[in-house]
Amino acid sequence: MAAAMVLLPGENIPTDKLPKPKKGKLTLGPGLQHTPPSTISATTAGSLQVDHRKAALWLEHAGGRYQPSVGDLVIAQIHHSSVETFSCALTPHTSFAILGQLAFEGVSKKTRPQLKAGDVVYARVSKASKWEDVEIECFNSATGKAEGMGQLKGGMVFDVRPAFARRLMMGTDKEGVSKGGVVVLEEVGGKVKFEVAVGRNGKVWVDSGSVRETVMIGHLLRGADEGGWDVEGQRKAVKKALRDV
Amino acid sequence: MGPDISHHPLQGADGSVTFSSNLCSILAAANGPVEVQRRDELPEEAAVEVNIRPPSGVSGPRERWLESVVAAVLRSVLHLHMHPRTLVQITLQITKAPSSTLKGAIRDVALLPSLINASFLALLDGGLPLRSTVAAVFLAVVGMGEVREDPSEKELAGCKSVHGLAYNNHGDLLLSESSGSFDLAEWENIADQAEETCRAAMAPLDEDGVVMKGTMSSGPWLRQELTDKAQAAVAWREAT
Repeated sequence: MAAAMVLLPGENIPTDKLPKPKKGKLTLGPGLQHTPPSTISATTAGSLQVDHRKAALWLEHAGGRYQPSVGDLVIAQIHHSSVETFSCALTPHTSFAILGQLAFEGVSKKTRPQLKAGDVVYARVSKASKWEDVEIECFNSATGKAEGMGQLKGGMVFDVRPAFARRLMMGTDKEGVSKGGVVVLEEVGGKVKFEVAVGRNGKVWVDSGSVRETVMIGHLLRGADEGGWDVEGQRKAVKKALRDV
Repeated sequence: MGPDISHHPLQGADGSVTFSSNLCSILAAANGPVEVQRRDELPEEAAVEVNIRPPSGVSGPRERWLESVVAAVLRSVLHLHMHPRTLVQITLQITKAPSSTLKGAIRDVALLPSLINASFLALLDGGLPLRSTVAAVFLAVVGMGEVREDPSEKELAGCKSVHGLAYNNHGDLLLSESSGSFDLAEWENIADQAEETCRAAMAPLDEDGVVMKGTMSSGPWLRQELTDKAQAAVAWREAT
């Protein structure tokens, strides 16, 4: 199979590569920009990925800083609280994201969540635009349910690259094979009990029975990310690490 | 082929690269878009800050001038309007400078193309949005009007003039700094040659991978580096 086309910044996508959408709408993902009327150009150097079913295109690029976009699940750390909101950090050295104090399941003005500076929460980005502050929420505002979001107690947070976090969140296909090519967590989960939460902003929260196991899982994730291990390499590394536990 | 490049040597910066040409080596780090100081904030675009550190000693007016030139070029390359009220910060550490036996002005002009190439690659590594691809080249006119690209120190001895030029993939001239004695006709000839070299650096690869053009240019080094990097990033897709 031919390798996907690699585009450099400023290059336009040739029209024969564009998918033919049924409803006439094309969705552009990261790395692409639309100049009306019909030019789509690259803003980074990456390989062009096309999803014909969803009529979407994007450029795959490893590395770089996480840019918040609506609907992403992220792991945020509370920096400080004010009257109505918590100010949280999604990535270092950027402005804080705002988490409303009432944006949790089952709270009211009398029963606010007891979160202090340094606490870690699993949240969803509800607003992200270049003109305003990023806003996050810890519940699904449509249904009012937490759906796994909220405070993450205990455990430890590890940094990975946002592209790797995306691979971790890709899930599995029909045969149970990981779509993102990462099997570390499944392999470890066979032997060790642990809880994990993956944030699209490049953070993974792990909580296991003991500190040793938590740190081991963190090391394996870091290794798979930076070492670029393939599935076989990941299995080998997990086996080796589990022997010591 | 082409200059010596190593990707992402620094873990702490969003994007980093080391870039070496015949005369100098640069370690570049790019961070952004990050929070900006209130006094530097721009309402509709990102602020660009360039810091250049010499290999030894403290930075002075020479580095300030280099910073202003590099910042001006990067402002035309970055998509500043995508991230208003933020900062794009580039730090350039010169790890090997052109020898001090050369005149100061020649050393400055020699540094600029490497600084620009290194900054561009670092910004790319950091995933910052860019409007175009830039390649810069350093040319010297030696002896009887012969033009040498990326000359070594020996070739530079007794050169008539030196020129640093940068072109983007839309054909725009982004940098033109020169030192020495030359006339307009010579400069136009040099500009044409520089454009050809820069275009060749970004030229599309053919089916087999590498196309070496006939002229003195070092082939599509920029295209090759970035293609290899992009394909390595999606290697996991091919495996599954």
